[in-house]
Amino acid sequence: MAQFALRRVLQLILVFFVVTFVAFASLKLVGDPLFNLVGVISGITEEQCEAVARGELEDTFTSGGNIGDCALIQRAKAENHLDKGVPQRYGIWVINMFRGDFGTSFVNGDEISDIIADRLPVSVRLIVLAQLIALGIAVPWGVAAAYRANRGFDKVSTVGSFALLSVPNFALGVILLYFFSLRWQIFPSRYENHGWWSEFKALILPAATLALGLAATYQRLLRTDLITTLQEDFVHMARAKGLSDRHIMYRHALRPSLFSVVTVFGVNTGALIGGALVVEQIYSIPGVGTELVEAVLRNDPPVVVALIAVVAVGFVLVNFLVDLVYAYLDPRVRSA
Amino acid sequence: MPDNSHSVKQLSVQNLSVRFPTVRGTVCAVNGVSFELSQGASLGIVGESGSGKSVTARTLMNLLPRSAEVSGGVEFEGADVRRLARERVKHFWGVKMAMIFQDPMTSLNPVKKCGTQISETLRYHLKRDRKTARHEGIDLLNLVGIPEPKKRFDQYPHELSGGLRQRVVIAMALACDPSLLIADEPTTAVDVTVQKHLLDLLDRLRKERGMSLILITHDLGVARRRCDEIAVMYAGRIVERGKPEDLFEDPRHPYTDALLRSMPRLNTPIHSRLEAIGGPPPELINPTEQCSFAPRCTLAQADCLQSVPQLSGVIGMREIACFYPANTKRGRRALAKNRARGKTAAGLQMSARRHTSG
Repeated sequence: MAQFALRRVLQLILVFFVVTFVAFASLKLVGDPLFNLVGVISGITEEQCEAVARGELEDTFTSGGNIGDCALIQRAKAENHLDKGVPQRYGIWVINMFRGDFGTSFVNGDEISDIIADRLPVSVRLIVLAQLIALGIAVPWGVAAAYRANRGFDKVSTVGSFALLSVPNFALGVILLYFFSLRWQIFPSRYENHGWWSEFKALILPAATLALGLAATYQRLLRTDLITTLQEDFVHMARAKGLSDRHIMYRHALRPSLFSVVTVFGVNTGALIGGALVVEQIYSIPGVGTELVEAVLRNDPPVVVALIAVVAVGFVLVNFLVDLVYAYLDPRVRSA
Repeated sequence: MPDNSHSVKQLSVQNLSVRFPTVRGTVCAVNGVSFELSQGASLGIVGESGSGKSVTARTLMNLLPRSAEVSGGVEFEGADVRRLARERVKHFWGVKMAMIFQDPMTSLNPVKKCGTQISETLRYHLKRDRKTARHEGIDLLNLVGIPEPKKRFDQYPHELSGGLRQRVVIAMALACDPSLLIADEPTTAVDVTVQKHLLDLLDRLRKERGMSLILITHDLGVARRRCDEIAVMYAGRIVERGKPEDLFEDPRHPYTDALLRSMPRLNTPIHSRLEAIGGPPPELINPTEQCSFAPRCTLAQADCLQSVPQLSGVIGMREIACFYPANTKRGRRALAKNRARGKTAAGLQMSARRHTSG
């Protein structure tokens, strides 16, 4: 088991470097960071500066600015290590990140680590709550459907789950918001955080919006896997032992049937870190997804890359946990 | 339990029929099976695949799918088993009556420790606490001859060999000290040496605990050595029943006779061909009112195709369901008639090489 975990951790580290490097390198694709730092004068090249200094060129550049700007550009380059190659800059960036220094926003000069510290916990709480609600619904629902597969309850619940799957988040979010917040005023309509209880109440509706679709997915997967498991000899054996149906469903059949659900659970969790955008917008939640879109729109590459790195690390971490859950679920994985 | 308990009737199956409606028609898996079992006795049920032996066992254990249509009576120690099933009675199956299955590789839950799978029965039925259940579970592993029971108790099924796993399965079945054990092909999936150990174990446990045993197998040799009585099944019916020595030395039903002839023997010359049973396997979907073995029987006459022969007593404990039993005068005459015609009443060609005794 320890060896299994160790191997996974090594893989995790490798994946972390690959993903963050790609994210960092892609920064070059979205434009010249120097432009974001100093504006149009970023077009001034070193050759031009030298030529002016030697008196070979006039002191006004075609891109605007004059010889005084040369020093500014030099400083901006040096401060942001733009005079170095991408691999070197990546190295500096990663090392700084491990020190907790994610750099600053080009646009408003905010510390990126502060932005993450602000946004990430909200997103994580939203996702955890959504997934808990989803599993809480999906497990009993899937078990009940598989127990009487293709009979009354199962048929109705199949229609129900496809209905939930086909309602988009923005519609479901608005519907829940209308009824539970505006009409019946049970939950607040906007995110608020005056202590954990008020935040919890504010997160219930958005979490439920995410959870209903997820629950329908998990229910479909669990139902199918359970029906397969129920054909297994060990289930007949458990029946022959005279155990109750409930005991057989929850203690014998459920655990070997959770693999698909756990896999999709992991993928969904990763995807939701930055991808709960629509729900975050509807309920005005200051999450990672909203910040990511805002950073893209205000052309703030360091923030974008840092957030991508956060999402990627989250994704990898969650899937690492999923691997551990596999090993917990099936002892045969541990020795594999 | 003392040996004189043999005469106490424990299980009585009366005219049991099981049908499964399918899209292609109704599958008649079991057709009017009746038998009795005394306390502490062992009954072997032999027959080929699809002969209804496993379905019979599953009916006793209430393991049939919901779609199955069952008729007939099953009485166990004075209780109406089918009523217990309807009333969803707890603590009967697994306590009074237990079953073990063919494949030890698949009949243990791969994600639960072997010990847990034994102790859960004790905890569920007998309400043992965790500690007691563990002690009793380890004792059971010891009883079924598993070395290092304490270590095995905490191991997962995939860490054990096939033979050990089947011993765990037996320990599981024995946990609540059942008075009847149904073993459905318990040794088919393990190799021959392990097979002998397991059968010896079942014998020993049966004698020590005064437990009755229904041993379902397609292996005639296994049934012969381990059972007080054997019932041969074909197409959902018991076609012959009797003591193993009678059945083997003097088979009366043409199917039993043909089965014994198709077994390889040590004293047959090498390179001699095994005698196969000719003709098509039995039709289980909407069968016609005839002896189901008639299409393959070398003794078949016209009346075999018109009604179903009923199981009736011959001498003492011996029962057969046949109009022209093999190794009798009637049977010999029927065979001679078919030989002369070159084919049976059902149209089966009488090959020259086949020499089913008459």
